[in-house]
Amino acid sequence: MSFWFWHGLRNGIQSTRYPHAPETAPGVTPGRPVDTQFSSAEEAAEAAAVCPTGAIHAESARAVVDLRKCIWCQRCRFGCPRPLHWETSHTWAAGSAARGAASPLGSPFGHSLHVMVVDAGDCGACLNEVKQLNNPLYNIHRLGIFFTPTPRAADVLLVVGPVSENMKGPLLKTYEAMPEPKRVLAAGTCAITGGVFGRSFMSHGGVPSVLPVDLEIPGDPPPPLAILDALLLTAGRAKHSTLSNPETAPSPDHGPRLVKLP
Amino acid sequence: MTVSPPPPAQQRMFDTTALATEVARRFGTAVTRTSENGGAASWFVVEDRSALVPLCRFLFSEAGCGFAGMIVEERNEWNLRYLFLNPGCGWVYCILRLPLSTRTVPSISVPVHPADWYEREAEDLFGLTFQGHPRLGDFVLHDQVWQEGLTPMRKAFDAGQTQFELRPQQDWRPTLVVQDPGAFAMPVGPVYEGGIGESVHFLLETVGEDVIRAVPRLFYNYRGVEKIAEGKSLWDVLLLAERFSAKSAFAHSLAYCQAVETALHLETPPRARHLRVALSELERLRHHAGVINGICRSTALAVSESHAAIIEEKLLRASAAFSGHRYLFGLNTPGGLRRDFDSEATSALLRSVDDALQLLERLEQRLSYSSSFLDRLEDVGVVSPASARHLNLLGPVGRASGLRRDVRRVCPYSGYQHFQFQVAHEEEGDGYARLRVLFAEARQSASLIHQAIETLEPGPLCADPVPIRAAAALGWVEAPIGAAGHWVSFGRDGTIERYRILSPSFRNWMGLHVAVEDFAFQDFPIILSTFGLSATECDR
Amino acid sequence: MLLTLVPLILVFVLCGAGALLGFVLPERRTPALTALCGSLAAAMALLAGANVLYGSPFSGQLWTIEPLGTLAVSLDRLSAFFLIVAAVVILASSIFSASYLKRYAGHHSLRAFNAGYLLLIAAIVLILIADDVLSFLLAWEAMSILCYLLVNFEHLRDGSSQAAYLMLATGEAGFIAVEFVFVFLAIKAGSLEFGQLKTALAGLGPAARWGIFLATFFGFSTKTGLVPLNSWLPRAHPAAPANVSAILSGTILNLGFYGFIRVNFDLVPTGTTGTGVVVLVVGTVSALVGILYATAEGDLKALLAHSSIENMGVIAIGVGAALIFAASQLPVLAGMAFIAAFYHMLNHSLYKSLLFLGAGVVDERTGTRDLDKLGGLIRLMPYTAGLFLIGALAISAVPPFNGFVSEWLTFEMLLRSVELPSTSLRLLFALCGAGLALTAALAVTCFVKAFAMGFLGVSRSEAASCASKAHKTEIAPMALLAVLCLLLGLLPTYVIPVLDQSLSPRIDPHTVQALVPPFFAPAAASTELPPAFLADFHNLGAQLGQRILPGRGLVLLHRGGAENPVIFAMSPSYAFAALVLLLFLAWLVFARLARTRKLARNELWAGGIPKLLPEMVYTATGFSNPVRVVFDAVFRPAIIESKRETVAVHFRTAILRRRQDIYLVDRLFFLPLAALLRWIAGQFARMHHGRLNAYVTYAVGFLLFVLLLGLYS
Repeated sequence: MSFWFWHGLRNGIQSTRYPHAPETAPGVTPGRPVDTQFSSAEEAAEAAAVCPTGAIHAESARAVVDLRKCIWCQRCRFGCPRPLHWETSHTWAAGSAARGAASPLGSPFGHSLHVMVVDAGDCGACLNEVKQLNNPLYNIHRLGIFFTPTPRAADVLLVVGPVSENMKGPLLKTYEAMPEPKRVLAAGTCAITGGVFGRSFMSHGGVPSVLPVDLEIPGDPPPPLAILDALLLTAGRAKHSTLSNPETAPSPDHGPRLVKLP
Repeated sequence: MTVSPPPPAQQRMFDTTALATEVARRFGTAVTRTSENGGAASWFVVEDRSALVPLCRFLFSEAGCGFAGMIVEERNEWNLRYLFLNPGCGWVYCILRLPLSTRTVPSISVPVHPADWYEREAEDLFGLTFQGHPRLGDFVLHDQVWQEGLTPMRKAFDAGQTQFELRPQQDWRPTLVVQDPGAFAMPVGPVYEGGIGESVHFLLETVGEDVIRAVPRLFYNYRGVEKIAEGKSLWDVLLLAERFSAKSAFAHSLAYCQAVETALHLETPPRARHLRVALSELERLRHHAGVINGICRSTALAVSESHAAIIEEKLLRASAAFSGHRYLFGLNTPGGLRRDFDSEATSALLRSVDDALQLLERLEQRLSYSSSFLDRLEDVGVVSPASARHLNLLGPVGRASGLRRDVRRVCPYSGYQHFQFQVAHEEEGDGYARLRVLFAEARQSASLIHQAIETLEPGPLCADPVPIRAAAALGWVEAPIGAAGHWVSFGRDGTIERYRILSPSFRNWMGLHVAVEDFAFQDFPIILSTFGLSATECDR
Repeated sequence: MLLTLVPLILVFVLCGAGALLGFVLPERRTPALTALCGSLAAAMALLAGANVLYGSPFSGQLWTIEPLGTLAVSLDRLSAFFLIVAAVVILASSIFSASYLKRYAGHHSLRAFNAGYLLLIAAIVLILIADDVLSFLLAWEAMSILCYLLVNFEHLRDGSSQAAYLMLATGEAGFIAVEFVFVFLAIKAGSLEFGQLKTALAGLGPAARWGIFLATFFGFSTKTGLVPLNSWLPRAHPAAPANVSAILSGTILNLGFYGFIRVNFDLVPTGTTGTGVVVLVVGTVSALVGILYATAEGDLKALLAHSSIENMGVIAIGVGAALIFAASQLPVLAGMAFIAAFYHMLNHSLYKSLLFLGAGVVDERTGTRDLDKLGGLIRLMPYTAGLFLIGALAISAVPPFNGFVSEWLTFEMLLRSVELPSTSLRLLFALCGAGLALTAALAVTCFVKAFAMGFLGVSRSEAASCASKAHKTEIAPMALLAVLCLLLGLLPTYVIPVLDQSLSPRIDPHTVQALVPPFFAPAAASTELPPAFLADFHNLGAQLGQRILPGRGLVLLHRGGAENPVIFAMSPSYAFAALVLLLFLAWLVFARLARTRKLARNELWAGGIPKLLPEMVYTATGFSNPVRVVFDAVFRPAIIESKRETVAVHFRTAILRRRQDIYLVDRLFFLPLAALLRWIAGQFARMHHGRLNAYVTYAVGFLLFVLLLGLYS
C-alpha cells in the first residue's frame, strides 16, 4: 500500500496556478460567443436567427450575445452561414440581472469560504464541473474554499439546475438553514433562466424565481474555472473587474460586475 | 436467507418467424401480428386484454426476451407499447389498445418484474391504474408536494402552466417493510454527500449499525422533459435530448437522432457513423473514468481518487479541445454530425485517449494490489446472476453479474457491427466485478475510438434534408450506463407528438434494492458508487 | 441515648399504626396515609441515625428467651450510616407515593400495599438495629417476604408473579446459607448476641473463616445481585411499583452489603487476600455484565435494574480492594477503599432512586416504559426530564455530580495497588481497573441512550406525544434527591470524614487525613503536615488560593514522598467554581459577539425533507445496536423468528427478524442447573414404577436406616 504514497509524490503538483497565473491548457474552457460586428444588419439578423433560445439579437450590424440565455449549443459557431466570434475566456460570472452587484462576503471569508452545492434539477454537467473543482488540477482547497455537506456551516449556496418543483422545497430549506451572511450563486444557464427547460409545470425557470441570487455564472455548463472565478469574486478575492475581452463591453442585460479589491 | 428468483423456465432461442409461429400457436386470435413498421421488429397487437399478461410472461420467462420498457401514448385511444429485446430476433413490441375511457390496465409487474417502475410511472403521470400491481402511489409526483389526481402527461394538461394549486398531502408516511422491533428508517438526502451529490432521498431501514433495506426516492430532478417536448420542433427536442442527462449527452442525442432518422428514413453517411462511434466511445471512456473516480472516493483512497479525477478532467479537456464542448453538446444532428474534424484534430484526440488509457491502466494495476481497497469492494453489494436477469439490469452493472447483453452487439447501430470489440463481463456481481467491467469497457472504448478514427474515410457528413412526415420510431444506443431507447413520434404538423426516453438509470435504480439488503452502513456509498447511477438520467 | 431510642420506637409505632389504620380509613385516603406514615418514620430513622453518627452509639437489650439467649438492639456507626441512607430513600419514595399510588386506585388493593410498605420500612430498620442472630434473621426473612408481596403487587402484569417468585426463591437460597453460618457461629460462641460472637470467635481457623466468607458472600449476594446470583434482579425490580423499585434498589441492595460487611469485617474478619480477590473479581464481572445488559435494554426500568447490578459491582470492587488492603496490612488504603465503596453506595442509593422515580413518572404519564416508543418528553414534562437528566449525569459519573467522586475514588484505589507487595495482585488490580474503565464508558452510552431516547427528539408513539406534567408531590422528592446528588458531588470533603466516622474504630483514623488534608485551614496546616510536603505542594502552585478559597476543598489521594512529589488530587468544588466562572466568561464573550449579529432559530436540518417523521428518527434499539454487535459473543442472540414476505420475487412486503437473547447468567448457570436438577429428579422418578412390593421395601429400608442411626448416635 505504500506505493500510493510514492505514486502521489512522483506525480508532483498538478494544480493550476490560476488565479495567480492564467490557465491556458486546451479544453479547460469551451469558450464563449462574443458580440460580433457584421457588415450589414441583414447579416447580423441572419446570425441571430440560428440561436434556438434567443440569446443573440441584432443591434444594427452587430450581433449581441446575452450569455444568460446561451446554452452553448454551438449552432452559431459551426454549420451556420454567419458564425459568431468565439473567445476562450472563462471569467464571465456577473452580478444578478435583477439585483445588481452584491457586495462580496468580506475579509473574514477570504481564505475560508464554505460552499453548499444544491442540485435543483441539474442535468449533471454543472454538478460535475463543480465536482471537478475538488480534483488536483483545480484543487480549490489551496485557495481556502471548501464544499460542505451541511448548510449550517455554509456561506455560499451554489445552485445548479432550473429548480424542479420537487426540489424547490429542499432548496428553500437549505437556504433557510444557512446562517447570515450568505450569498446565492446560480451556476449554469438553467439555473439563471431555466435554459432549455424554461418555465413549465415542473420547472421554475431558474433560481431567481425562488431565491434572491447574488451572482450568476452563465454556461452550459460553466467550466470549473468560471465557477472558481465566481467563488473568488464572492470571497472578494478576484482582482479583475471587467470582462476579459476588452473589445466587448458588457451587454446591457448584465448587471454590474462585482467590484471589490481586497 | 434471501428469496432467490425462480430458475428460468425452459428457454428457447427464437428467430422472428419462429416467435411469430409460437405466439400464434399459443394465443390464437387474441394476439395478432402486424407488419406496421416493417424492419426487423416483431409487432404483436394484443386484441384481448386478458392475453396481455400471459403473452408478456411467455416473452419474458420462456422466449428469453429482456423487458426494455413501456411507452404509453394517448391518441384517440390509449396505446400501450411493451418493448422487449430478444437476442435472437431483436425488438419485440406488444401493443395494447384501449379506449380512452378505460382507466384500468392489467399489470404485468408480477411476472415481469422490470415493468414495476414503468407501471408506477404511468400510474402517476397518466392516471392509469394497473390492476394487480402490488405497490402503486407516491412515485414521480411526490405526495408531499403534489395533490392526488394530477396527471401531467395527459394531453389535456398544459405543460406551460406554472400557476396551479398544489395541495400536498401532509400526512404522507413512507411505506416501510422492515418490521423488526426498534426498526427505523434513516433519512439521507435529498441534499447530502459533501454537498456535491445528485438529489436523491434514501430511506435506510435499519435497527442500527446494519441496514436491512434501502429505498431510494427519486424524481427530485423530474423536469417533465417528455411533456415539454410535445409540440416542439425536432431541433428543439434535440436540445432536450442532449441536455437532460449530461454525463451521457452524446449517447442520448445519438439515440434521439437515430429515432428521427429511422422515422424519416434518413441515411447517415459512413463518415458521420464512424465519428459518432468515436465520440460515443470517448464519452463512455470519460464516463467510466468518472465512475471509477466515484468508487475510489467512496473507499476513501485519496491518491487513487485524485488519479482518477485527473483522468476524467483530462478527457473532459480532450473533448473540449476536439469538439468545442466538454460534454460533447451540439454535435449530433438528425442525419449526421454538425461539424467535421480534420486529421490534426483526430490525431490529437487519439493521443489524449492513449494518454488517458495509459493512466487508467496504471490505476487499475495499482488498485488491484491495494488490499484495503479490494476488501471494501469484494462481496459488497452482490447482485446474483439470477437476480440480474430477473431485474434485467443494464450496462456494466448487468454485465458484472453475468448478463452479456449489449445492444451494440444484439442490435448494432451506427455501424458497430463493423468494429472489433468484446463485451466485457464478470460473474461475481459484487462491487469489484463492476469495477473490473468498467476498466475492461474503458479499454474496449479506447480500441473502438482507434478503429473508428483509423478507418475514417472522407465524404459527406450529413444526410440531405427530407420532409418531415407523421411517423414514429425507436432509436437505441448502448449509453455508458446501459441500453437507452428514445421513442419519437411525429404528429401531422411536423412537431413531436410523443417523446419517450427509456433511460438505463431508471432500470438500474429499480434493481439497486437487491444489492442493498443487509449490509453495513459504511458500505452504502460504496455500493452506490459501483452502480454508477445517475438520478437525473432516471428522473428526466 | 434518649434522642436515639425515642425516634427508633416511634418508627415502629408509626409503621404499625399506619398499617392497621389503613384497614380502617377509606381507601382513597390510603396514599396520603402511606406517604405520611412512611415519611415520618423515615424522618425518625434519619434523626436516630444522625444522632448516632455525630454522637455516640446506642445499644440496648430487649428481652431474654430461655434457653436461646438475649435479644438485643444496637445502633453503631456502621449501621447508622446504612440507616441514614435507607431513611433518605424511604423519605423520598414515601412522599412520591402520595400521588403515584392513585394510579392503582380501584383495581388494586391499596390497603394491602399500605400495610406491606410500612411493615417493610419497619423490617429494614429492624435489620439495621438487630444486635443478635435471631432478630436479625427474623427481620431479614420478614423483609424478603414483604418484598415478594410488594413486587407481586402488579400481579396482573405479564411476568410479574414469576419475577417476584424468582426473587423470593433466590433470596431464600441465600438466606439458608446465611442461617447456617449464624447458627454455626451462635453454637460456637454459645450466645446469640453479636457482641458475644465477636469476642468468642477471635481464634477461628482459616478454613472456618473461608467457609464463613463463602457462605455469607453467597447468601448476601443473592440480595445485592452480584453475578451469578442476579437473574431475578432485572426482572423483579422493574415489576414493582416505582416507589417500591426505588426502595429495592436504593435500600435493600445495600442491606446485602451491610450483612456481608457486618459478618466478614466486623464479626469474623477474614484476614486473607484470597477473599478480597473473590469479591473484587465478582464485582468487576458484575459491573461489566450489568452495564452491558443495561446498554442493550429497551425497557427503561429494566435498564435501571441492570445498571443497579453494575453499581453493586462497583461497590464490590471497593469492598474487595478494602479486604485485600486490610489483609496486606495497609490500613489507610483499606480505609480509603471502604470510603470509596461506601461513598458509591450512598450515591447509588440517591441517584438510582431518583431515576426509578423518574421512570415511574414516565410510566404513569405515558403508559409505557419501552424506550423505542418514548421520545420528546422534555417538552411535555420538563421538570421530570431535568431531574432525570441530573440522575443520568450523576450515574454516568459526570462532574460536578456525586457519581464522579465515588468512581474517581474507586479508580484511584485500584491505581494505588502499586503499594501491594504481590505482582499477581497488582496485575489483577490493573485488569479490574480496565474493566471498571470499560464499565464507566458504557455507562455513559447507556444513560445517553436512556435520556436521549426517552426525553429528547420526536415522540415515537401516540402515548408519548400526549403525556402530561408530573404532580408536585412527585417532583419534590425527585428534586430532593437531585439536590443531594449535586451536594455530594460538590462537597466530598465534608462527606468523607462522616464516612470515616462510620468506619471507626475499625479502621485507621489517619485515613481521613490522607484523603482530606486540612491544608487550607492555615493553622492546622502548619502543625499537622510535614514541611517537606508543604514545600512540594507550594512548588506545584497550590498556594495560589491559600488565603482565598474557603474551607476544605481538596480530596487528596497520593501525597508523594520526598523523592516522588507527584500529587494526585482533585477538588470538585473548586473545579465547579472554575467551571461556572468560565461559563460566565464564555457567555459574556458570546453576548458581546451576538450583540452585532442576528440570531436565527431554524428548523432541524434533515437533508431538505419537508418534515422529520417519527419513523425516521433513531430508536433506542438502533442507538444501542452497535454495542450489541460488538459484544455479540456475550449476548449471543438467537433468531426466534425470521420472515421475508414477498408478493412476487423481489416485491418485498415485510421483513422481520426477531432476536431474543437469554440472559448470560441464566445461560451459563441457571439453565444448566435446572437441567441437572431435572435430570436428578428424573432419576428418582424411576423409583416410582407402581409395584407395591418395592414401595414396601423402601419403607422397610428407611426404617432400618433410622434404627441404625438411633443405635449409633
